[in-house]
Amino acid sequence: MRKRFLQLIAIVQIWLFLAAACEGTGTVPGLGQRAVSVSIIYGSEKQEWLEPLVAEFNASKAKIQSGESIKVEATPMGSIESVHAIIEQSVQPTVWSPASSIYIPVANAEWRKSHNDDLVLENTKDLVLSPVVIAMWQPMAEALGYPQKSIGWEDISRLAVSEEGWAAYGYPEWGKFKFGHTHPEYSNSGIVAIIAQAYAAAGKQRSLKSEDLQNPQVRSFMADVQSSIIHYGTSTGFFANRMFERGPSYLSAAVLYENLIVTQESKRLNGESQQLPVVAIYPKEGTFWANHPYAILNAPWVTPQQKEAAQVFLNYLLDKPQQMRALQYGFRPSDPSISLTSPLDSQHGVDPQQPKTVLEVPSADVIYSIQSLWHEIKKPVDLVIVIDTSGSMAGKKIGAARSSLVQFINLLSDRDQLEVIAFSSQISTLTELSSLGEKREDITRRVSGIIEGGDTRLYDATIQAHQSLMEKGSDKHIRAIVILSDGQDTASDASLQEVLNQIGSKSEESESAIKIFTIAYGDDADEDVLKNIAESTGAKQYKSTPENINKIYAEIATFF
Amino acid sequence: MYTPRINWIIFSFFVLISVAVFVASLVSPLVRSYSYAPLRDLILPPPKPITLYVLYSTEKDAWIKEAIQIFEKTNPSYEGHPIKVEVKDMGSREMYLAVLDGKEKPVIISPASSLQISILQDLSASKFGTPLVEVSNRNSCRSVFSSPLVLVAWQERAQAIWSREPGKDVWQQIQKLATDPEGWGAYGHPEWGYFKFGHTNPLKSNSGFMTILLLTYGYFDKTSSLTTNDILGNKDFQSWFLGLEETISRFGESTGTYMRDIITYGPSVYDMVSVYEATAIEQADNAIGRYGELRVFYPPATVLSDHPFCILNAEWVSPQEASAAQIFIDFLLSEPIQNLALMRYGFRPAEKSIRLDQPGSPFVRYETNGLKTDLPPQVEIPAGNILNTLLDFWSRNINR
Repeated sequence: MRKRFLQLIAIVQIWLFLAAACEGTGTVPGLGQRAVSVSIIYGSEKQEWLEPLVAEFNASKAKIQSGESIKVEATPMGSIESVHAIIEQSVQPTVWSPASSIYIPVANAEWRKSHNDDLVLENTKDLVLSPVVIAMWQPMAEALGYPQKSIGWEDISRLAVSEEGWAAYGYPEWGKFKFGHTHPEYSNSGIVAIIAQAYAAAGKQRSLKSEDLQNPQVRSFMADVQSSIIHYGTSTGFFANRMFERGPSYLSAAVLYENLIVTQESKRLNGESQQLPVVAIYPKEGTFWANHPYAILNAPWVTPQQKEAAQVFLNYLLDKPQQMRALQYGFRPSDPSISLTSPLDSQHGVDPQQPKTVLEVPSADVIYSIQSLWHEIKKPVDLVIVIDTSGSMAGKKIGAARSSLVQFINLLSDRDQLEVIAFSSQISTLTELSSLGEKREDITRRVSGIIEGGDTRLYDATIQAHQSLMEKGSDKHIRAIVILSDGQDTASDASLQEVLNQIGSKSEESESAIKIFTIAYGDDADEDVLKNIAESTGAKQYKSTPENINKIYAEIATFF
Repeated sequence: MYTPRINWIIFSFFVLISVAVFVASLVSPLVRSYSYAPLRDLILPPPKPITLYVLYSTEKDAWIKEAIQIFEKTNPSYEGHPIKVEVKDMGSREMYLAVLDGKEKPVIISPASSLQISILQDLSASKFGTPLVEVSNRNSCRSVFSSPLVLVAWQERAQAIWSREPGKDVWQQIQKLATDPEGWGAYGHPEWGYFKFGHTNPLKSNSGFMTILLLTYGYFDKTSSLTTNDILGNKDFQSWFLGLEETISRFGESTGTYMRDIITYGPSVYDMVSVYEATAIEQADNAIGRYGELRVFYPPATVLSDHPFCILNAEWVSPQEASAAQIFIDFLLSEPIQNLALMRYGFRPAEKSIRLDQPGSPFVRYETNGLKTDLPPQVEIPAGNILNTLLDFWSRNINR
């Protein structure tokens, strides 16, 4: 009897415990807690600030009014690339936070082609701010008169097109001026850079019109600037990292955000980077602000609960402690009560009293016109595609490689020049370096017919591609090699050292060094060797599988 | 022990009277509020509270919330009915439009200025036959405090154009500078780019509306008798006015958030804006931590954001509510609440006995930034139909 009584007490206690637990979470544990998810696509420049905040917010178990807890998932993506992904609905985020508002009118115009309302409504709040600047190595900036003399887009553009390069400033040893910005169809800083160049070309600071872009002088000025570009790229963050890793022989200057300079200089001052100091040049004609708007999308897939939850997360990001942290990452907080103090100072290469003026944001139509003009005048690429067709490629691998290669070629323009080399025991050239326009159909057919079999002569093929590009490529074009390989070299006459000698001897000094992008395809690929080859040219190695090879080729295409 | 019968009668009578008095006292509205709550509610359910629904413009948000907290602590009542205040903030124009089309049924409305009351009178008279606000009755609309429209610029830039005061033709000067292709180059500072003037969207925010009114008066160099013909019949005025408005790249949604942006982005985006004096005071300290000091200028004739509190003459407002509303407005005009408006929020109290230059007042603290206690003269507020004409003209040509 007594035992039954104790059992009864135990059962009651368990129930009480469960009831108490439910009180805490709003649901019965173990049955799967109800949660409302907020997905965010954001510009990668704020990754270092945002990522830890997402983790802390999720850990705080914040709730919406109905008691559901909020789960935030944030993914970085190029700001312009993400517009296209959202319009095509290949991603359906709750919140879109690009680097700046500059492209919002274009996003709305695109969205309205299939919807009755805007995708981004008025009144978006800014998360943090950072001006678009030209990042330059301090000794080079000083050669231009920094910090006393103000420097503008026009000076940079003229320097970029000058044959003399740094010699005109008394530094022939620095060679030509090497300039870079990201791809205007993928990244905010890229579109901003070409808009600024269009203003400089037209000699205006506001009211830029599509008619201005018809002016032959404007077009040739812009084409000249583009001709000095080393390569483009999908993300401003990656561009900055390359510049800061490889130093002044790789790039003299690039269009970046102020906050990226502050973080680099913090690293240098901490001893984490051995590079020369880098400074922000605030263009004298004016610049644009990256204002990181937080747009809760007006899209059918966003539920009222998600809107509410996204608002809760926004309020968290705008709270003072989170805004204070943004300052540590070199951003200017959007909370006006936070002063612009260290690390926003000259020690970190920046001047919080700048910029002095801005360029007017053009209308969506003018932005379209600038983009299409850029397409016409952008620097063409001389590209050699090198593809492994050894026996180990059999099956799914060769199939995916063939189809993604065809899509990759479709991303190139008719003005680009292309050579394709297939290697196994033999090295065969499917097409010699020449304009793609005249041979597009033919080359597509030949690539679709590639078959596998034999050994892997990776080194010999690499040397042959490099020699061919050195001989036939133009140093007025971007010159690049894209190598895909799935295994270790088994049959080359040359050694890895000979490959590195061949590509290394030309890469650093030459003004338009050949970039070699490598793809380690599948698990057996020789990642170390491919990485070594790619990085010795300042390019990048990718790891890939038949499932994502398409995406990898598409990303490489953003460099041209 | 024998108690005489008469004593019992007297005792019982006394007890009865005491109980009756006690009960009566609890029922009486006058005594109720002082008695023990659970006991009085047992005897008679509490009287229904009178709820005052108030729509107010956003600039006075912080002040009104603080004032209501203090008000409710005084247990206010009318004829024994406790007074409760419910509030909702709204843009000033949105407010009268919501009242006109019946979306909102407030007892009191308090837009940022009498401009909106003037329009509401005009529109409601033509819609309902009688106006929703009786301005003839002095007590139905009372201003609690005011703040004039001023020009705010970054100190360094202000000095480059107006080392002392702007002079009488301030609006002409601004228009000329903003439309000059040379921009700041004309004043020796080409590095500052073109001159960027700004104000809020007149359709959404009162300060923007006040700005375009002052611009219009400024063009005609007068301070009264503006006509619809001035606006619609004068081509020179139109191209002058639209020329300036077209240089403005973004019109703010509300004065408060617009001013925040000015401080956040600094002089690269805004050289000079036209906002309320109180808004400039609110951000003066923040400005120093960002891009330096602000400078305030008073246009030669201004217009006041006078924050009228108007009790509506509408069928949904009972006489009891109207009386309770008077009690609430009296409270807002009481000294401590008026002082709060001045000392913490930089408004000019309607209660004239409160001195603007008292120690600790923002008018003393920011005197070097150009703040003045003396008000410039004010322009005449035109009739509702003229104001509407101006808004329509702006809306047709500029609205974006």
